[in-house]
Amino acid sequence: MTRSRHSVRPHASAMGPWSRFCYFAAKAWANLLNNRLVTAITVFTITLALLIISLFLLFYVNIEGTVDQWSRKVVVTVYFEGELTPQEVTSLKGKVSSLQGTDSVQYIGKEEALKRFRSRLKGQESLLEGVAPDTLPASMEISLKKQFRSSEAIASYVAALRKVQGIGEIQYGEEWVRKFLSFYQFLRLLGLLIGGFLLLTVMFIVSNTIKLTILARKEELEILSLVGATPFFIKAPFLIEGMIQGACGALFAIILLVSGYYAFLSNAVNFLSFNPADSGMIFLPPVYIAALLFGGVTLGLIGSLASLKKFVIN
Amino acid sequence: MIELHNVTVSYQKDAPALSGVNLKIPKGDFVFLTGPSGAGKSTLLRLVYAAVKPSHGHVVVDGQNVTRMTRHQIPFLRRNIGVVFQDFKLLQTRSVFDNVAVTLEVLGWEKKDIGKKVYHVLKQLGIEHKMEASPQRLSGGEQQRVALARALVNDPKILLADEPTGNLDDHNKDQILKIFKEANIRGTTVIIASHDKRVVHYSHNRIVHLEKGRIKENRDDSFQA
Ligand SMILES: Nc1ncnc2c1ncn2[C@@H]1O[C@H](COP(=O)(O)OP(=O)(O)O)[C@@H](O)[C@H]1O
Ligand SMILES: [Mg+2]
Repeated sequence: MTRSRHSVRPHASAMGPWSRFCYFAAKAWANLLNNRLVTAITVFTITLALLIISLFLLFYVNIEGTVDQWSRKVVVTVYFEGELTPQEVTSLKGKVSSLQGTDSVQYIGKEEALKRFRSRLKGQESLLEGVAPDTLPASMEISLKKQFRSSEAIASYVAALRKVQGIGEIQYGEEWVRKFLSFYQFLRLLGLLIGGFLLLTVMFIVSNTIKLTILARKEELEILSLVGATPFFIKAPFLIEGMIQGACGALFAIILLVSGYYAFLSNAVNFLSFNPADSGMIFLPPVYIAALLFGGVTLGLIGSLASLKKFVIN
Repeated sequence: MIELHNVTVSYQKDAPALSGVNLKIPKGDFVFLTGPSGAGKSTLLRLVYAAVKPSHGHVVVDGQNVTRMTRHQIPFLRRNIGVVFQDFKLLQTRSVFDNVAVTLEVLGWEKKDIGKKVYHVLKQLGIEHKMEASPQRLSGGEQQRVALARALVNDPKILLADEPTGNLDDHNKDQILKIFKEANIRGTTVIIASHDKRVVHYSHNRIVHLEKGRIKENRDDSFQA
């Protein structure tokens, strides 16, 4: 054997961070392809997990949207003895609008009040015969910003409103508001609880699936460690694999969700008594879709990290 | 230079695998580690590449106290140590080439350099024609060579081999031992653990004989020769 004892040794640092990343990514990709079945199972698990979460989100977003629509009806109404002059209306509107928590202010004169009342009694207008426009009081309807739609916030808002000069008699259906709002809060809490529970379960299942894939490659991890691979070198391809699997899972989940949603919409008329598209049913907003993708990647990453912790020991 | 200072290793409480072992192996030495099965040979090798830590005492390799190394330092120790495991530890799902290349990949070598070096070593060991094969299709002697190639490919300062001639016929044994000799001539410190008395008689080398975790004999034939 004729070989120089000190053969030129390319140094590890000769590899830049980018080519290092490419090396790990290529390795991760090769591993994914080499273990096709295991990869498929992991991606399937993540898809299923995220599909469950996104279905939950879809329900939640729609229920929340509906309830939010209702909560717009939480308005504070101010009744006035007589009709206000346009100048009075403008000045009062200005004062009320400057109050913290005011979303919009609408003045309803006597004329307008009657018109509204009439349209509500469609078909039974005869009841109104002889009712003079003077009968109904002029009022101002104030809707509140979202964060002011709680019993305590309304109470303090009304207190502030009372101090506004020229304000009339204030009414806001105290009892109904309280009940409705506590229901709303309960709904949010319930959503948070169920969502959190789902997320934990999903993390548990996914990290266990990934743990199995790593267990299947325990030997490889051991050999890498024995020939002098740093913990980072051993982990990096697995983490990239986890992220790729997470991203694929999320993508599949989103595709399934979108197609499921539109299949539901186009068939719903057949078995529902109403068309859900008309009832204000919405799909997940883009932020949620982005969050799902991000969540999938994170899920894969955390699942891999958690499982590797147990196996990568020197 | 490998030094063991009063080293005790206990896997379980009652019976230590090694007890109070003192040993110095100078750079460039060729040592046979002998003794019956269960004497603690594999354990002694594991101490050197930091796969086990001593319960008492210190292990010093190349002036570095292995006992005090963190898990981020150990990889760098292992890059200077080639190990041939008793069970080979070859990945059956990878080619012979990939199995050997892993040592260089870990060091961050460029792909084309890895290709040249791995081919070169496989050729030296006479198995370059099996480069694309899976280890499970190779004979015991060939698998041994692949394991040896993986250990030697980065010219380690220290080469450890656990029962490297275990299931080999005499011809293969001679060949394998010749490869160890050649590595030793190039400056590598070699330690071979073996319970096979005939292998030990192969040459006049230093022999460290273990029994029940203690050194019973520490003989250096090369001085008498
Ligand atoms: N991982 C382990 N866990 C528990 N006991 C072990 C382990 N490895 C070795 N031993 C015990 O330590 C002693 C020495 O083992 P070993 O170093 O493998 O001896 P040898 O290689 O000389 O046959 C034996 O009694 C063995 O049973
Ligand atoms: Mg042994």
